[in-house]
Amino acid sequence: MQNVKGSKFLEKKNNLMKDIIEELTKEFKYCSILGTDVRGKEYLVQKSGSSFNDSNWNERGFVVRVYNGINYTEYSFNHLIADKVEQIIDEVKKKAQQELKLITKKFELINYPLVNEDEISEEYFGEVKLLPNSITISDKLSKMNRIKDKALPLSEKIVDFRVRYEDVKVSKVFISNNKELKQSYIWSQGYLIAIARKDDDTRFFYKTFSGLKGPELLDEMENSYQEVVEKAESLIGTEPPEPGTYDVICDPDTAGIIAHEAFGHGVEADMFVKNRAKALEYLDRDVASKNVTMYDGARSANHVSSYLFDDEGTIGQNTKIIDNGILKKGISDLLSALLRKTEPTGNGKRESYERKAYSRMTNTFFASGDAELAEMIASIESGYLLENPMSGMEDPKNWGIQCVMISGKEIKNGKLTGNIVAPVLMTGYVPDLLKNISMVAKEVKLSGSGACGKGYKELVKVSSGGPYIKTKARLG
Amino acid sequence: MINKIIEILNATNEIDAWKLTERKTKSSELFFIKNKLEMNRGKDVVKYKISVYNDFSNNEHKYRGSADVELLPDMEREEIEQIIQEAAVGASFIKNKYYPLADPVEIDYNVPASDFYDNSFADILSQISEALFESDNFDNGGLNSAELFLNEHQIRIINSKGVDNSYQKRVLDIDFITNWQENSEEIELSKIITLAEFDLDTIINTVREMLIQSRERSKAESLPNINDIPVILTGSSVKELLEYFYVQANAKQIYENVSIAEIGESMQGKEIKGDKVDLLLDPNLSGSTHSVPFDKDGFPLSAQKIIEGGKLLQFWGDIRFSHYLGIEATGDIKNLSFAEGSYSEKELKSEPHLELLVFSNFQMDHLAGNFGGEIRLGRYFDGEKSIPVTGGSISANINKIKNDMLLSIEKQQINNYYGPKFIKLNNISIAGG
Repeated sequence: MQNVKGSKFLEKKNNLMKDIIEELTKEFKYCSILGTDVRGKEYLVQKSGSSFNDSNWNERGFVVRVYNGINYTEYSFNHLIADKVEQIIDEVKKKAQQELKLITKKFELINYPLVNEDEISEEYFGEVKLLPNSITISDKLSKMNRIKDKALPLSEKIVDFRVRYEDVKVSKVFISNNKELKQSYIWSQGYLIAIARKDDDTRFFYKTFSGLKGPELLDEMENSYQEVVEKAESLIGTEPPEPGTYDVICDPDTAGIIAHEAFGHGVEADMFVKNRAKALEYLDRDVASKNVTMYDGARSANHVSSYLFDDEGTIGQNTKIIDNGILKKGISDLLSALLRKTEPTGNGKRESYERKAYSRMTNTFFASGDAELAEMIASIESGYLLENPMSGMEDPKNWGIQCVMISGKEIKNGKLTGNIVAPVLMTGYVPDLLKNISMVAKEVKLSGSGACGKGYKELVKVSSGGPYIKTKARLG
Repeated sequence: MINKIIEILNATNEIDAWKLTERKTKSSELFFIKNKLEMNRGKDVVKYKISVYNDFSNNEHKYRGSADVELLPDMEREEIEQIIQEAAVGASFIKNKYYPLADPVEIDYNVPASDFYDNSFADILSQISEALFESDNFDNGGLNSAELFLNEHQIRIINSKGVDNSYQKRVLDIDFITNWQENSEEIELSKIITLAEFDLDTIINTVREMLIQSRERSKAESLPNINDIPVILTGSSVKELLEYFYVQANAKQIYENVSIAEIGESMQGKEIKGDKVDLLLDPNLSGSTHSVPFDKDGFPLSAQKIIEGGKLLQFWGDIRFSHYLGIEATGDIKNLSFAEGSYSEKELKSEPHLELLVFSNFQMDHLAGNFGGEIRLGRYFDGEKSIPVTGGSISANINKIKNDMLLSIEKQQINNYYGPKFIKLNNISIAGG
């Protein structure tokens, strides 16, 4: 395994970051600075061409947070040189003092307690089998082109086959009055996407790959092109299921989306603070069947959102959200924990240094059970095996949930019939969905190829997953 | 910084052409829980997006590889050189058909003269915060929380052919949540307002409308099992549905064989029973944050008719994909102006129907044409009375219903969309709540 090295950029800026903290401490009782250096590359090959660009996850800059006497003020910037330190400090003061005064003429401020930190100095450097630069750009593109070139001739119905790969090195430094934290790690993700058409019926299917990995991920992607082509072809001519409530088995990715939407977003502590999450009324009450245990945390799994500390300098944790059906605990950012007088759980994440921190998920999943997929299928008289989620959305206030899957496989009399329905829209009431979970498989799988939004914005990297689960769901 | 970057670009052997986009952004942000301020934030960032191009020939075919990288003001010369060199090497492995860059054209652009641009961020946000809470005066409901983002962007695009164009724009985003509680449990709805103008009335009216819809959702009954009834969409789902035609008419989608639309052919099937779609792309649409004098390549934009009477008049696209198709480029225009339909709201709603106002997340798959979503608020009219409904979902494929869409005479604007406010559809699959 190769060790991931820290950011030279952040190393160079370390003293200036400390200068800012030292200067601001003269005026503010709490101040912190987060420095980020996220660098990655995205590669795409398809029938009509290819591309090689910076990753959309790239960011490099700083965010300062100060306690303004009543609550907290932040200032984000990306130009930090010795000559600019004074100007940055002036801007922070302007935001925390003059601009705040103007607002307080018309609006009250929410009173937040002062952050009380233990003294910590820690660092974490991840490791991967291959570092991104250990394989040349040309070799990465060649591997990807080989996959595409093998896939395209497999069927006349395939109008395009796309191979997308991205590797990203995340480096962050957090400095406050009592903390000095550093971390660097690498994650990668890949997609195989087939587009199939017959007459005017166009369909797509994709398979994703991800993890705390470097370009070794490309080797994992190499042998799945045939499956992706066949599944895209099989979708042609399919129809959605007849609206109704069915026994369903959810694949690990679909189980992950349910976990993420149901009691991931539903237990974010900033939603508790705003009285936007019904889960608050259900702490220590049953919200799911006894078969359901669920976790979230930077330390709950080794996947794309595993880190030492979050974007507010809180050390990551392993949070058991649901224990055998009983809702135990939410996930929290630092400021929400201050207001609620609870402990932060290391879930304060920002889209980038340019954005506010919110309570966000990390690696969220249902724990394993003791069933086998074969016995789960055999237990269903009429239903579907749901696969490959495309999107999800939850209403944490009223516990509505919506998930869209690429397809479902029909099950009749305990057997897969070979019939496919697509696409599949699953909607329902969260406790109904979770209380009906009657079987849980043994093997847990996580996927971290997507992004999670808070409402319709603030995208952050997360993973989610679980084992195969059997429940009842409304499909439409 | 720009001069240093250009000097390095011009000195790098593998680079045959380049484009540089400077983006300076300043923001002021306020975060409210109810009507109390939770946090204030600001930012000041500068970024330089560089596209480098490497030209080469193979078997008498010309190719142009490219790579996009971002440079930042703190980068030292050595790091800039290393990033640009890596991009240049990367571009040499990208085998895309050749296409030209934008030519220099003089563009007459002035910063809009309005209070939105003249006043300080703090002054504007102070007035906007007051407007936001002006409608928050109901007994059983109100604003749960709101986030205000006022951004000022200064954009400059330069390329190696001599393009050097600039513009400035301010954008206001308000993300807010409303609550309501009648006799049952409290409910919430969410909304994002995006504005390019200092438009306090829109803010006041939108918040009031969301509060009224929240009251309605609070009284809503679970959607009954109903079939064979027309569905009327309104609000952002109309925009998302009609955007399908915009995406299908895009040169990139055609080149990549994702769309099979053809010029002169109907976009709505052979026998159009309902209203025919007319689409104009208008880069100067008033009130849109996407109204710009030139596109991402520095290509000057003008209004373009794309669809008329349901027929595709021309594809729209940037320089690259238009060149690939051998057509004149329209540039990358992001404002959609659809003509009004031929039915009044009253006519559309005269018979039994299900009107859908708010979805959890209306999904439109632009490739396959599937659309649908879970219903947060609807109104079921059985011919005699209208009742608010919630829960359940709809789903359908646009290719099966596009020849029978009834569009309203009444229009709505949602940032870069200006077009019918209502659309009536038949043969939609409805799942009860």
